Amino acid sequence: MSALGHYLEEEGIATVAISLIRPQTKNTKPPRALWVPFELGRPFGPPGDPPFQRRVLLAALRLLERAKGPVIIEDFPDDDPRAKPDPGWRPPAVPAASADGSAEALGARLESEIPLLQAAHERWLARHGRSAIGLSALAIEDCGRYVADWLRGRAPASPREGFSAPLMLRFAVDDLKAYYLEAGAGVGNPSSRQLGDWFWNETAAGAAIHALRTACLASDDERLKLIAGNFMVPAARVRSAS
Amino acid sequence: MTRLTDLPPAQAQRLAELECPDFATRPWVTGPALSRRRVAIVSSAGLVVRGDNPFRGRDADYRVIPADTKPEDLLISHISINFDRTGFQEDWNVVFPLDRLRELAAEGVIGSVARIHYSFMGATDPVQMEPNARELAGRLKQDRVDAVILSPV
Repeated sequence: MSALGHYLEEEGIATVAISLIRPQTKNTKPPRALWVPFELGRPFGPPGDPPFQRRVLLAALRLLERAKGPVIIEDFPDDDPRAKPDPGWRPPAVPAASADGSAEALGARLESEIPLLQAAHERWLARHGRSAIGLSALAIEDCGRYVADWLRGRAPASPREGFSAPLMLRFAVDDLKAYYLEAGAGVGNPSSRQLGDWFWNETAAGAAIHALRTACLASDDERLKLIAGNFMVPAARVRSAS
Repeated sequence: MTRLTDLPPAQAQRLAELECPDFATRPWVTGPALSRRRVAIVSSAGLVVRGDNPFRGRDADYRVIPADTKPEDLLISHISINFDRTGFQEDWNVVFPLDRLRELAAEGVIGSVARIHYSFMGATDPVQMEPNARELAGRLKQDRVDAVILSPV
């Protein structure tokens, strides 16, 4: 990000960067940057808190009025209030894991779990008016079936022209995560960690993606291995056995 | 709050030590007061308007986000899964603060908001992005933009 600032500024456009990783910004030495102490993925802080977001944005934009520079790296003083867990939050109910951990059983659990979360997802839509599902352009049930078929070892063809099957697998996994995380936050204000704990530890979808990662890593297809190894399970959630 | 110390040690180390371009110059562009600036957002979140071509890997080009894009039509197609997406899912301003910019423009705190905003895919090597970034500067100037807020994830 700071490198982009360097190029744009060289071309005559003034820039100010939000910095999430201070050591990177320090190394790149951009013209102006505001470091923020927020979680990766949240450069302007808490969702649903316009006054807080405005303070971050203005703190950054005001650096454009400084006469002395480069390099300016300032620190935003306040933490994201929405990073705290919501003690009252309860995730939507999902069936408990079954003793049968086979790929066939896990695929079936995933496919039957998705419609159970529909009401929770509708609560999310009613509350926030938007959804980040859509990279695969598949209906969510079709995402589930596509991922389940991969898990069953069927290596299904790509359902979308111009997109390879492994790429569609990545997009379908992304859409499944988006659906679950939105459904999970249909009520309350859970932190990202609370939602992640629920998704990765309690849902059939989380278990299926873990199992799929393990299965794909054993494949001969290098592109599939790359996607499974890097773009399915976050580094913080990878289990040592998988 | 999440600082590098809150991440898994291997990820924190990789991010902290990520190779950054070593620039020989220190550019510095000044301009009018904020109340007269025209501001654009340039994100590195791999943002893409629904229906547009998503980022597929470490692509070096950028996507165009017209200012009249609706919040429900902006998606993240960044290849990294090691950052929070739930904040953006709930409120696009967490990553793409267009509503906040509009409010600041309406109040006269900034001059105006650009007609078009842009997104790169931040996992791409910045050196690969350089030609596109320089070309983008020309497009920004055509839109009379004289201030860019750079938003990472």
